[in-house]
Amino acid sequence: MNGPGRQGPPARGSWVDWLEQRVNLSEIFSFITHFGLVYTPVDTQKPVREVLRDVAAEPVPRYAHGARALGLLAAILFGLQIMTGVLLAYYYRPTPEAAFESTRTIMRDLPGGWFIHQMHAWGSWLLVAVIVLRLLRLFWEGLYRAPREVLWWCAVAMTWVVIQSDFTGRLLTWDSHTYWSTVRGLEVMWAIPIVGPVLAFLLGGRTVNADVLIRFYVLHVMVLPAFYAAFLYLTFATLRRVGLSRTGPAHDERTIHYREHLYSMTMLTVGLFAILVTLATLLPLGFHGVADPYATPGGVRPPWYMLAPYFLLQQLPLPWLSGFVLLVAAVAVLLLPLWLRGDETRERRLRIRLAGIAVLVAWLVLGVLGALLERR
Amino acid sequence: MKTTLAFLLLAAAVTAVHAQTGTPAPLAGPAAVTAASGRCGVCHPAERVQFEKSRHALESVRCISCHGGDDRSLEAGTAHGTGFRGRPARQDIPRLCATCHADETRMRPYNLPVDQYALYQTSGHGQRLARGDRQVAVCSDCHGAHEILASRDPASSVYQLNIPQTCGRCHGDRAVPGTRGHRDVLKQYRSSVHARALIEQGNLRAPTCVSCHGVHGANPPNIGDIDKVCGQCHTAERRYYTAGGHAVTRGGKRPECASCHEAHGVQAAQPERLASSCAGCHKGDTRRLDLGRRLWTDYRTAADEVDKAAAMVAKADAIPIQTEDYHARIEEARTYLREALPAAHSVQPEIVAGFTTRARAVGQEVQKELEGKLANLRQHRYVLIAFWFYVLLTLFVLKRFRDQAARNR
Repeated sequence: MNGPGRQGPPARGSWVDWLEQRVNLSEIFSFITHFGLVYTPVDTQKPVREVLRDVAAEPVPRYAHGARALGLLAAILFGLQIMTGVLLAYYYRPTPEAAFESTRTIMRDLPGGWFIHQMHAWGSWLLVAVIVLRLLRLFWEGLYRAPREVLWWCAVAMTWVVIQSDFTGRLLTWDSHTYWSTVRGLEVMWAIPIVGPVLAFLLGGRTVNADVLIRFYVLHVMVLPAFYAAFLYLTFATLRRVGLSRTGPAHDERTIHYREHLYSMTMLTVGLFAILVTLATLLPLGFHGVADPYATPGGVRPPWYMLAPYFLLQQLPLPWLSGFVLLVAAVAVLLLPLWLRGDETRERRLRIRLAGIAVLVAWLVLGVLGALLERR
Repeated sequence: MKTTLAFLLLAAAVTAVHAQTGTPAPLAGPAAVTAASGRCGVCHPAERVQFEKSRHALESVRCISCHGGDDRSLEAGTAHGTGFRGRPARQDIPRLCATCHADETRMRPYNLPVDQYALYQTSGHGQRLARGDRQVAVCSDCHGAHEILASRDPASSVYQLNIPQTCGRCHGDRAVPGTRGHRDVLKQYRSSVHARALIEQGNLRAPTCVSCHGVHGANPPNIGDIDKVCGQCHTAERRYYTAGGHAVTRGGKRPECASCHEAHGVQAAQPERLASSCAGCHKGDTRRLDLGRRLWTDYRTAADEVDKAAAMVAKADAIPIQTEDYHARIEEARTYLREALPAAHSVQPEIVAGFTTRARAVGQEVQKELEGKLANLRQHRYVLIAFWFYVLLTLFVLKRFRDQAARNR
């Protein structure tokens, strides 16, 4: 039975033509250029097959490998986190009475629930690691200078958002270790001038209770992902405007087709997914027992990215100093493009890199000391 | 007639005053209400202060109830006149207290027993007193003289928590001349599990001296009675003890609770002592020593299995997998273990084994089932191998496509 507008036996793929006679597929496809997902403007007068062929043959730098893939990994991991997170949210209940129970239901009683939970937990671990490494890579290659200030600011903002997502997510299981890890982490936050008191006001006090849990939940599932998505969009959009960075000693000028770039990205996605699945299966993150606000288990530390200020907080005679250091560090990375322009000499760039290494090493040493610290 | 009129006028005036102020007259303290000390306190202020804090001061008891004389007079001659007894002699005190406390009619409103005097006369204290020993405890030695408080008053010397100290004033102090019984008894009691429960944990149902020796009829328990005394609380232990081979008196001697557990320094259950206590009496008797060791081995083997199973349950909880059933079964096994300890008082291995075998079996079952479940989880790894095979295949195919695209460039 032939429908209107169909003549003769249907050729292979003719459903695209059939659809194209009714809607402008190229116009619909061109929508994704808004998000910076393709490199070229789309000619909406052409049929969609031709448009796709053009886009696939678009020359792009030989790019998606090594440290340059970190930004892409951050985007893929974010997608995975959204998917696993939505599945977890179907069963999770954010009250102190139900949080641990519902998490245990997910991990123990639901088919595959443990897998989703572990994927989400390891995903957050990887995401923090990837986003921090990406920031270091951008710093190392000087990619905070004009015209890439917006990209740098986005990278810094995304680092903060990801760390806060990880931090707020830890509390949600209401597990005794993560609960106390959050308490230790918040001690670091309270010490930050201005930010600490404001945060305490927003959270309704300095006790980790039901109010803090529901606020962390809202931040974790709504506010922070929304901000992350916004910065991700801004990053892609800016990237297409200022172009991919052509850095590295060789200044590789060779180009490949966008089609190859897409294959590389798909391979990265598959590889990342496989690594995540392996970590989630072989090294499941611990599950201890329901949190008791009146009993601190032994050996509790703040999350790893807070160990350095935690050490300062515990050891310095002036507790506010650690918060001050954290605040200065946060402001300094944001303001980096303001005093480093694109015209400095090789020696100056070297000095900046050395200063960065010195700060990083100090941070790592303080972090190790913080991890070894026995609470007084 | 005049008197009636005056009284009515006075009553009207009082009512009017109350109606004007609208507030009731403030309540005075007990001492002011009773003034039970009469005028004696003018010359005996220290005694007055003590007495007015006492339970007696709230009732119709006055100084003269015990001491005689006239408490309305301030003149020593009159006050210490007719019927004045002065300080009652020690041997007279029990009878003096009994004039009220053995009187059912007087004691009924307070729901107090009236058998204390009769009991006292049967006690070691009472019998020695009757034989003319003036040093033994009389009522006032434990209850105090003027400052007597109700036994449920925490400040009372006979409040549950204070009893060891009160008895220990004579029985635990080497400095008191002519002290009877064990001189270190208070020290021993304080080291006991009973004293820890009483003093450290505040468990008012924990036994004190009087729980075993009696209150007013205090006496050391007789041979053959100790299991009854301990059995007031330790019912299961007594049941097994009386059914077993130890509950026999031979030559005026009998192995009883205190033979293994001590009398006053009783410690918490120490199952490992099953292996060593027997040597206290059965030195050189290999067969009986082996029996003790066997009881301990049975118990320890079962306890080890249950502990191993509990550790596996904890491990499973951390994964987590379903363990509610296993928690219940571990609890069941621990109950068997707990029952095995009283059963050991029968000194019959087959009775003890009835419990230890069950505990061991439950422990082993739980271990076996959990091992099965944990092994199932380990199969995830094999799935992972298959998963990686497909991942590598996918990557290989994608690479082929990419290479092809590069060639067509």
